[in-house]
Amino acid sequence: MRRNISRRTTAVLHLAWLFSAAAVAQGQPPSFSADIVSLDAGGAGQAAAKLQVANPKARIEMAGAADGFFLSDTDAGTALFVRTAQRLYLDARQSTPFTRIFVPVDPRDPCRQWQAAAATAGVPSTGEWHCELIERASMNHHEIIEYRVVRSDGQSEYGWVDRTMGFPVKWQAADGKVFVLENIVLQAQPQSLFSIPPDYRKLDPQALLERIKHSDVWAEPSK
Amino acid sequence: MSFSLLAATVGFADDKTKDNDAADAVKTESPIKHVIILIGENRGTDHTFGVYKPKGKHETISNILSKGIVNEDGTPGPNFSLAQQFMVKPQPQYYIGAPKAAKAAYGSTGQMPQPNTNGAPIAQGESGAPFVPAFLAELAVVDPSPDFNPLTDTILTTGFTMLPANTVDTRIPNAGVLPNGPFVLQGPNISDDDYTGDMTHRFYQAWQQSDCSVANATKANPTGCLNDLFPFVMSTYDLNDKSVPAVQGNFSEGNEMGFYDAEQEEASTLKTLADRFSLSDNFHQSFQGGTGANHFMLGTGDAGFWSDGNGNAITPPANQIANPNPAPGTTNKYTADNNFTNCSDFTQPGIAPIVSYLEALPYRPEPNCATAHYYMVDNTNPGFYPNGFRAPSPAAQAMIPASPVRTIGDALNEKNISWAYFGGSYNDAVALSNDAVTAGTAATLNSSTALGEAALADPAHALGVAYCQICNPFQYATSIMGNPTQRAAHIKDTVDLLADIQADTLPSVSFGKPDGLLDGHPSSSKIDLFEAYVQQVLDALEAHPKLKAETVVFVTWDEAGGYWDSGFIQPIDFFGDGPRIPLLTLSEYSTGGTVNHTYADHVSLLKFIERNWKLRPLTDRSRDNLPNPKMREDQPYVPGNMPALSDLFDIFDFSHAVKQPFLE
Repeated sequence: MRRNISRRTTAVLHLAWLFSAAAVAQGQPPSFSADIVSLDAGGAGQAAAKLQVANPKARIEMAGAADGFFLSDTDAGTALFVRTAQRLYLDARQSTPFTRIFVPVDPRDPCRQWQAAAATAGVPSTGEWHCELIERASMNHHEIIEYRVVRSDGQSEYGWVDRTMGFPVKWQAADGKVFVLENIVLQAQPQSLFSIPPDYRKLDPQALLERIKHSDVWAEPSK
Repeated sequence: MSFSLLAATVGFADDKTKDNDAADAVKTESPIKHVIILIGENRGTDHTFGVYKPKGKHETISNILSKGIVNEDGTPGPNFSLAQQFMVKPQPQYYIGAPKAAKAAYGSTGQMPQPNTNGAPIAQGESGAPFVPAFLAELAVVDPSPDFNPLTDTILTTGFTMLPANTVDTRIPNAGVLPNGPFVLQGPNISDDDYTGDMTHRFYQAWQQSDCSVANATKANPTGCLNDLFPFVMSTYDLNDKSVPAVQGNFSEGNEMGFYDAEQEEASTLKTLADRFSLSDNFHQSFQGGTGANHFMLGTGDAGFWSDGNGNAITPPANQIANPNPAPGTTNKYTADNNFTNCSDFTQPGIAPIVSYLEALPYRPEPNCATAHYYMVDNTNPGFYPNGFRAPSPAAQAMIPASPVRTIGDALNEKNISWAYFGGSYNDAVALSNDAVTAGTAATLNSSTALGEAALADPAHALGVAYCQICNPFQYATSIMGNPTQRAAHIKDTVDLLADIQADTLPSVSFGKPDGLLDGHPSSSKIDLFEAYVQQVLDALEAHPKLKAETVVFVTWDEAGGYWDSGFIQPIDFFGDGPRIPLLTLSEYSTGGTVNHTYADHVSLLKFIERNWKLRPLTDRSRDNLPNPKMREDQPYVPGNMPALSDLFDIFDFSHAVKQPFLE
């Protein structure tokens, strides 16, 4: 078991940090960009999204979805989906798992932030999550801490947190899917990427649903 | 030499050397290489063009203005009484031709039901502020340009009732004391840019509203449909009027009698198109009642039926079977207002009055009801989800099992003729369907409910709930929806329609359906939002002159939505026809503000496709087997050879192309 865990953690080591002049100052939350890559069973990667972080905010642009991006703010407890062409935004909820995974965390107790992000996404939860420290490893002067994330429903996921960055760099979901950060570039991110223009309006899917029920689109079953 | 003889001899095959347009190479009977059929929701002919004067020289139109029912300003005209509506004393059984002795005109013994706000949106702050951006979002899907059209933005943020739900719509001048007849939806507080109350529009209700009896027949109206029970049926079919206090089941009330005034700048985009191109004033919804059955007829020339999913007709669950007979102690409350009916069995509720009427007509149309088939007469979601997932328990999920009925798509496939159905928000609906499959709800819930639940969990694709499943006739079909290759090739989104136009890869045959926010349906949409959708497509075509030159765009509706209409109705079989709906024919060969009077319905669009691309009727029972009408000068709206349906070719003058902009 121990050997297996080591191999899992070692798998992170192919990640490359490209340090810039704005490298992380000790104790300062970092700003960085990276690619979120989905790994298949054979380890082959496929680009899933582009990530930009300016703690406490994260912006995620999904591959193949040019009409919008996700914006999370752990301090505000929000995760939004912004549709730029339509000038509107919505609560992201569970539109993507990334908004509850790739958030700034406390490397010593990341489950607190992951559970909060899951709550923001509307994932049902009845009790405390807890994180079991599996292993610590080192790479390029970065300490990577692997946690087993035990959710209140008993399901387990695994998260690898870069201690210096205070950010997960790899995730293995309960269904076995694995996502890693690649091409991490530590540098300041433009603040404009993390704000919603004031003329954008918020869409409530529940209200949309109620409106649609007044149309013929909604084919209500016979009583 | 007439056009048709010329075409039959040589056909039309265009120069195909210089573009991506594969459809150019396909031989057609006319110069038309592409047809685009755009389908709005729930507007009738008198409702939309009731006050309209044709622009073409010597052109005439049958509408409430030409009949003197109203004046040009929408006020009651000298023949206003021709439109008067009646109430009916309680009858022991369902009826479609009310006994004359049991009828009394509103006004003599009671006031006509008045227009009602029903479920129209009250204000942005109610459920509005959230859904206003939904409209914005949808239009932006249609037109994903970064610079949003300020005019459209304005349209999308206006029109709320500012009145309580389910109350008299006092924005309408004189509402509360309106006389017995049609009223104009125009005044200081209401226009075509306002949301208005909806009304029920279902099969048995629509037959009953039409009030058809051979005893009423005249030379000009040989089928005897009086169209004079519209508010009465709406105010009674769901009313426990003998209980204390009376329970009001719906608030359709008098909304059926509302109309727009095109001569006073209402529905101005549609009017401009009619002024420049051709309008049909004898085009009909093909099925009495609502959306699903009419779209099904548009795609198949037939009605869908309950089956075992393998093509064999079986009996649906009892809670799916209609019984329109009045409940004891009520004037006209339907016993079971359900969606399926076995019209081959005279003993079943509601069947005999319709079939007996058909048999009494001089031309004796066949009901076209196969033995032991329970036909879908009202809205029922297809047995497939938008992503192709097949509902495992259609009966429990209240979804019609996968359909074996042959579609126009099957016929086009067999001839390798390209086609596609472009449904607004389809891509989002696929994403929600995938969510529902993952969540397990697709296997247990009705697809409307499951997609609704998925939208709350996956707001990024929430607009998928606005995709109209029942509007896509191909979503019912095993041959299309049950085949991933077919589905990928032919079932697409509005954005794909615009992209195909821009890339000059438009299929030969295209069906375009906006989603539930832009379709123009009362209460949930507005007529000017459908106009905006149409304009988006036309603007795209305008930018491609060669493609425009060989394309006809038909703009029509699925049904009149329960709106009253004064036009003649030709019953063809048990299922319809129903009231008139507008048809605009936009091409270089159908110009001049003409008005076509030849009798037609949705199936005429199939007949046009079949003639132009040389296809046979879909099946031996589909309506596209009907002959073209032989119209007579003395009765210009009544075919001399009923039942008959136009193939629409007589709208065109293919010897004479006129280039002009669609709208600008």
